[in-house]
Amino acid sequence: MTAVLTPRTNADRATWSIGAPRLLAGLDTRAALDLRAHAGVHGPLPQPDLPRLLALLDDSRLTGRGGAGFPLAAKLRALRSGAHRVIVNGSESEPASGKDRVLLRRSPHLVLDGAVIVAAALGARHVDVGVHDAAAATALRRAAAERTGDGAVTVRVVQTAPGFVGGEARALVRGLDGKPQLPPGRRELPTGRGVVVSNAETFAQVAVLVRMGARRFAESGTSAEPGTTLMTLGGAVQRPGVVEVPIGVPLGIVLDAAGAPPLQAVIAGGYHGSWLPADPALRLSRAGLKEAGGTFGAGVLLAVDQHTCALGELARVAGWLAGESSGQCGPCLFGLPALARDVQALAAGHARALPEAMRHAQVVSGRGACSHPDGAVGFVTSGLRLLRTEIEAHLAGGCGRPVRRLLPLGTAA
Amino acid sequence: MTRAAHAAEQERLRVDWTRCDGHGLCAALLPDRITQDEWGYPIVHRDAVAAGELAGARRAVAACPALALRLTRGDER
Repeated sequence: MTAVLTPRTNADRATWSIGAPRLLAGLDTRAALDLRAHAGVHGPLPQPDLPRLLALLDDSRLTGRGGAGFPLAAKLRALRSGAHRVIVNGSESEPASGKDRVLLRRSPHLVLDGAVIVAAALGARHVDVGVHDAAAATALRRAAAERTGDGAVTVRVVQTAPGFVGGEARALVRGLDGKPQLPPGRRELPTGRGVVVSNAETFAQVAVLVRMGARRFAESGTSAEPGTTLMTLGGAVQRPGVVEVPIGVPLGIVLDAAGAPPLQAVIAGGYHGSWLPADPALRLSRAGLKEAGGTFGAGVLLAVDQHTCALGELARVAGWLAGESSGQCGPCLFGLPALARDVQALAAGHARALPEAMRHAQVVSGRGACSHPDGAVGFVTSGLRLLRTEIEAHLAGGCGRPVRRLLPLGTAA
Repeated sequence: MTRAAHAAEQERLRVDWTRCDGHGLCAALLPDRITQDEWGYPIVHRDAVAAGELAGARRAVAACPALALRLTRGDER
């Protein structure tokens, strides 16, 4: 019954879908879509002007797919007047996530289509794509060289620094401008400097939307959140990979399709997300996850089966999150390692470590320049709240299960 | 002034965490509203500064050797 559990971080991931694929169209039979294959699969690209683009974005309620879920139309409207730039955030520095890499390596033209549409509608001349995956950078450069129909818009592919925090949008913008790739200490929104920065999948969704129109786009998904979404499925499932699903699909459907054994928990939203009970009725949408006390984030879903030590897995990720602090902010630099040590001590059976962990979590919360400390704290505390029985077993001498290293860590190549 | 407008005008103490080195002068000067965590970094318990408290708050801002403590209005950071 048990699947063989191998962390997968570097390999090209399998792709599959529930319902007709949009973003992943054509990838079932081809390794990657060059310009010719892309045109064959997706068809010609309309170029809406700005009012038309905004109407499409409003009608489809398209939100950013990097984690924060901000409406793209509102982002475009918030731009200050003057010269504009478009930045595609392809950093994907979450080790459990692979969806942007799959898009950028295998369907780069779809992402570039969306970025060029937004740039042309804004009258912007430049699209920057920030990636730190070498294969994605190669695929994008090859794709950019193939393109001829982008008019005045030029595409530049920049290989950026790795690191979880370096993928934060404001850090990426600073990195592309030749500054240290770190979040700024003061409130500094890219839109205030005429910069649109959004996740790679967001732009691929734009490319799908302008071709389908808002009505057909909304034939999938929920009324509040139309369309499909990419998710990266990992952990104890027989068919891990990048999957395209209608927004709002029940968790049970996805787990069945993925071949999941009985589970202790799922982790939704990646390592800034949360541990949740594997409730088959849970709706995989922003609203559904929020109702369950979690976040959709960038669509990472990890299955934790009953044959691994969940508290040990939590401790591994807590240690990784501590190591990913960029070191700029004291409470994060010192607080996250303290929190990670607490979780380790708890796994080793020390009862006092639980209240200490909750205290450290509270001390760190809200005291950083970016969302890393809060995201890390949310991940750890949701795990500590969910794993009550597991914690009791550890305090009574151990859960008897090995730590199988089910949750992928390390910077994905 | 409406309550919302008043809240937007309210001056608040903010820490730029990328600058703060935990020198602790703010906690020494404003002990009733700022304490230090176990690593010496400030915990601001009450960030809204009333008109009568502005002079003391400005003194703490000026004393910060890292220029990390600020007084801002509304949702500025």
